[in-house]
Parts: sequence; structure tokens; C-alpha cells
Amino acid sequence: MTARTVLRNEWRLLMADRPLRIALGLFVVLLGYALTNGVVWLRFQERTVEATKSGNVERASALEQELEVIEAGGQPFSPFADPRSPLVLGGPSGSQTAVLAPGPLTALAIGQSDLLPYYYDVNVYTNESSFHQNGEVENPLNLMVGRFDLAFAVVYLLPLLVLALSFNVLSEEREQGTLALTLSQPVSARNVVTVKLAFRALLVVGIVLGVSLLGALATGGFGSPDRILLWSFTVVAYSLFWFMLAAWVNTLRRSSAWNATILVGAWLVLVVVLPAAINAAAGLLHPLPSRVEMITAQREASNEAVNRRSELLARYLEDHPEMAEGVVADEPGLGALSWAATDAVNRRLEEVAAEHDARRAEQIALVRRYRFLSPALLAQEVLLDAAGTSDARFAHFQSQVRAFAEQWREFFVPAILADEQMNASVPANVPRFGLADEGSTDVARRATVPLAVLGGLLALVSAAAGVGLGRVRGAD
Amino acid sequence: MTELQEPNSGATPLLEARGLSKDYGDTRALDSLDLAIAPGEVYCLLGPNGAGKTTTINLFLGFVAPSAGQALVSGLNVSTHDRESKRRLAYIPEQVMLYRNLSGIENLEYFAALGGQGSLGRERLVEILVEAGLDGKAAGRRVSTYSKGMRQKVGIAIAIAKKADALLLDEPTSGLDPTASNEFSALVERLRNRGVGVLMATHDLFRAKDTGTRVGIMHYGRLVTELSTAEIGHADLERIYLEHVRDNGASP
Repeated sequence: MTARTVLRNEWRLLMADRPLRIALGLFVVLLGYALTNGVVWLRFQERTVEATKSGNVERASALEQELEVIEAGGQPFSPFADPRSPLVLGGPSGSQTAVLAPGPLTALAIGQSDLLPYYYDVNVYTNESSFHQNGEVENPLNLMVGRFDLAFAVVYLLPLLVLALSFNVLSEEREQGTLALTLSQPVSARNVVTVKLAFRALLVVGIVLGVSLLGALATGGFGSPDRILLWSFTVVAYSLFWFMLAAWVNTLRRSSAWNATILVGAWLVLVVVLPAAINAAAGLLHPLPSRVEMITAQREASNEAVNRRSELLARYLEDHPEMAEGVVADEPGLGALSWAATDAVNRRLEEVAAEHDARRAEQIALVRRYRFLSPALLAQEVLLDAAGTSDARFAHFQSQVRAFAEQWREFFVPAILADEQMNASVPANVPRFGLADEGSTDVARRATVPLAVLGGLLALVSAAAGVGLGRVRGAD
Repeated sequence: MTELQEPNSGATPLLEARGLSKDYGDTRALDSLDLAIAPGEVYCLLGPNGAGKTTTINLFLGFVAPSAGQALVSGLNVSTHDRESKRRLAYIPEQVMLYRNLSGIENLEYFAALGGQGSLGRERLVEILVEAGLDGKAAGRRVSTYSKGMRQKVGIAIAIAKKADALLLDEPTSGLDPTASNEFSALVERLRNRGVGVLMATHDLFRAKDTGTRVGIMHYGRLVTELSTAEIGHADLERIYLEHVRDNGASP
């Protein structure tokens, strides 16, 4: 009875409070805008993925046709790109694009998918520099703030709305004098405030989940109910953390203005300052090698390799005796010499990339260690994982592309070294990239720790709020 | 006519203080108060600011915990029977503060429901507000447009709707004009006639003599004397009051 009475009164108070209704309306508009952004990005990514897939087929088909024409006595379409050469068929002209399809809830969380490559052109020249382009060289936290999407709205704006709705949930009652009249009735402050917060939580979470489900419905996300469940659970836990924090601050018996200052300060620290500080610490303690260093290394290695191609080929064959069959190092073909230079460049780049990767791994380890300090980082991590746009999924994709590039080289390099001619049957037999995407179990396993910590933080502030509310009396 | 509680014929006082004390740090706000208010009795607590009147009311409401002694409502210890005792109490503070953006009806409906009266119909709510002296036309207006007197009437309506055994009034006529104060006294009189026990803290000696059945004068947390209003005149009360509260420069 008390719960229904308080809920009804809260609804009336909300309906009578114009600024609050405007704030709620504005939040809904922002969520709508965030969702639209996500859907626009998703459609763009889907179109790109389709284009790359059809590009693969078209390129293979065109090369196959050209090879058939040549085998029938015709000439290559370009004397500089004869598809009979394995360096051409296995090079950029015949490259295959490895694609990462959008995650199940990409429309809700673009995450890093606009920064990290979701497709790679794989050919014999694919090397470490191919994997160190775009924004990936940046600090991992820099990548976390992307487009204005639902995840951004949830992590950054939702706490502000929660605080706007609850910073004075008890202090206002005290200040306007209704607390004494309320607590002179046979009710406890804990029950009344809990119901008041529950009303606000239902309102906020209902709006966010409503828009989220609408987005999932419009973009086929309902095919992954487990991800929707994970998303929803995170939204609820994160919202409740902020509600409980506000409840606890309200029990400190200070003014509404004081509560507002403290809570906005908490938002600033937990959502903005701490992530930025962790970011700065990661960059300061484990600085990444300069991108210029990688480019310089590539150029130097290229120049040196061109000058010492014959020597490099001999060394390559010493290192790879299995590739030496039929190759005469003293009379190498142009392809073999070219490949020797390419391989030398690749090796130099691998050294630079290894250093970069080691530093980046240290940065990620630092960020992962200290992310527990910020519920915002924890929530964002799980939301991106649920959406399928986390850096872990991109790393998983990239490692498979690396393996595929190796497979591609193993297919073409022997032919390059042996100076073999390709024929029309080859395009149909080149390796194909098939992504083994992450399963729900992988995602659930990754989400367990951040969700458990978020749950722990929620339990902590809930307990503090519960104890504080138990002490509230009408004469406060 | 509004339903009110039938007079309580039992021997148990509706409000009782037994050695009730309250300390705030080193300051004793209330010192060993013994008090019993029977059904149909209006007990007025008089005394200067800081005498312990509001502390006494807060102790009966469970808003503060006693340092010693007990506050009992219909025999129930407030400290151990918080909700049960509050079901039997109605409280009207010096300034009845309501939800400003809601109407008088909506405020009454809310507090009456919290008090355990369920969902009263709109007609019944208006009836109670009119019973409490509020103009029926004002009942549907936002409380932000109400005067202090009108808000006090909503407070009275909340008390009526609750059908409480006992009523706690903390300087309820403070700041009201004489007409509103008279209306208020008449209402308390009606509640008294129906067996409600009333404890009223006030500075208004005239109102205390006029409305109360007994008067207690407090000073520095102590009940220094008790008088029956039937046995004294207005002038006597003023004289006795001044005799007891004349500050000798030190608290006892």
C-alpha cells in the first residue's frame, strides 16, 4: 500500500514539475540521436562489408578471366600486372579482403569500430605496418571515446540524469518540511526513499532499455538475446550504482546544494578524471614507440633491401631451406629478388612492431588493473563487449587476419621463389578467409569480472545508503 | 459530518511520559518529564524557547530517541513500537509544509494513505478538507497558492482523516490571524469532545487557557508546574507563567 501510494505521489510530482519533464524529454531526444548515429554507422559498415565481399569475388573472377584469355593466346591487360606472376596474383591486384562483420548490437555501441580497421586487404605484402595503421597506435583509452552512441549516452549522460532526479530525494523533503509530516505516519524513511528511487530508476532504466530494445529490434539485434540481456543487466547495475550513491549522499543530512556539488564532483571524478588519469598514466609509464620510427624503419629497410637483394635472397634460402627447391640463388628471378627484399623489410618491421606491441600490452595491463576504480570504465567495457565492438573482438579478428596472411604467403611465396607461372585454376584455389567469431561464452567470461566489480560497488553504496536511511528521523 | 474516533474509555493514558529525558551532548533538553494525557484532554505545554516543548513532541513522534525514560502512546513504547504508535498519532507542526506543486486534495490523499486510510474518494477528501475549515473551491488548487492558515487547515484535515487517538500540536497557531486561530481552537475542541487526547506546545497563553484542559509550564527542560485551566483565569495564568519562567540567569 505504501509503495503504491508513494509511486502515485511521485508520478504526480513528476507531472507537476515542468523542468524535470523537459530534462527527461531532452534525454529521450539525445538517446534517439545516439541511436540514429549508431544505426547510420551500422548501415555504413554493412555496406562496406558487402562491398568488400563482392570486391573479393570480382577481383578473383577478373583475374581468372584474364588468365583464361592469356592461356588462349591473348595478352595481359597490363604489361606491368601480368596475373601469371605470383607477385601479381598474390599481390594487391589479387588480394583478398578479410572482413569483420558488425557485432550483434553495433547500433547501440559503435565503440572503436570507427577507429579500428574491420577489414584488411591481405596479400603477400601484408606485414606488421598493415596492422599498425589507423588509430590503433593510440593509447587504448583514447579509443574508448568515439562517436555519440547509446553506450556513450549511458556511460556519460545517464549518471547526470540519475543525479538530477535524485540528488535531493531526501534533502528536498527535509528542506520543504514534508519529511516531518511523512515520518509522523507509520512509514520508515528507508521504505519511502527506496520507493521514490525505484520510481525514478524505473523511469530512467525504462527509457534507456526501451530505446536500446528499439535499436536492437530495428537492426536485427534480437538474434542475440544473450547480448541484449548482458547489455540490459549492465545498464541496470550502472544506473542503480548512481541512484544508490545519490541515496547515500542524501543520508549525510546536508543541503540539496551540497548534495548536488558532491554528486557532480563524484561524476566528474569517476567518469571523466579517473579514466583520463589512467589514460595519462598509461601513456607516461609505458610510452608507445613513435609511429615515425616505424615508418623510418620501413624506409631504411626498404632501401637497404633493394641494394642487397641477392645477398638477402641467399640468406632467406638459408633460413628457409624448404623454399629452396628449384631456386638457384646465383641466378634468381626478379620475383625471388623482390621477395627477398620484402621479407627483409618485414623482419625489420616485426622488430619495431614487437616493441610497440609489448608497450601496448603494458598499457592495456595498466588500464585493466585500474579500471576497477571507475564504474564508468567497467560499464563501458561490458557494454562494448555486449555490442560486439570491444577491442578484444578486434584483436581476435586481427590475430586471425595475421594467421590468414601467413597462410596466403605460404601459398604464393614458393611460386615466387621458383618463378612459377600462375594459371586460370589458381584463383579458385587461393586461401579463403573465414572468421571464427567469438562465442557468447567468450564474451560472458570477459564480462564476469567487470560485472562482479560493478556489482560489488553497487552493493557497497547500497549498504551505506541502507544504513544511512535507517538513521533518518523526522527531526533531522 | 466527519467520522472521528470515539472517546477512549480505557484507563491507559493516550500519551504518557515516564521519566522522559533527552540530552544533546552536555545539554539536557528534557529532564525527567512525567506526564499523562487521558482521552478527551487537551494538555498545553507552555514555556519559553528552549524549554523542551518541541523535544517532548519529537520524543512522542520517535523523531529523536530518549536519553532516559519512556514515551508511551496508548501504552506502547514509542522506541520499540514505532509504527504502531504512529498509527495512533496525528501531528501538526508549527508550519504545515506540503507538496507545493500538488493540490490540497492530492496532499491529503497522499498523507491519509500513508497514515493507513487507504484510498479515500475525491468527494470524501473534499468533505474532510471542508470539515477542517478549508474553502471547498480552494481544495483543488495547488498548495503553492495557499496561505499559512490554509496549509494548517490541510494539516488538520490530514489529522482528521487519520482518525488518530492522540494529536500532537507544535505551536499550531503561531503566525495565524485571530480568526484562523479561533477556527483552529474550535476544531481542537471538537476533536477533544470526541475523545482525542491532545498535547499542544504553544507560546499563546490565551489560547492555552481557552483551549486546554490542563496546562504545564516548562523551563530549562523541566515541567515546573501543572494547572487545571478550569481553576484559573487568564490573568492568573500569565502571572504564574511569568513567576516560573523568570530567568534567574542560570539553568538549573
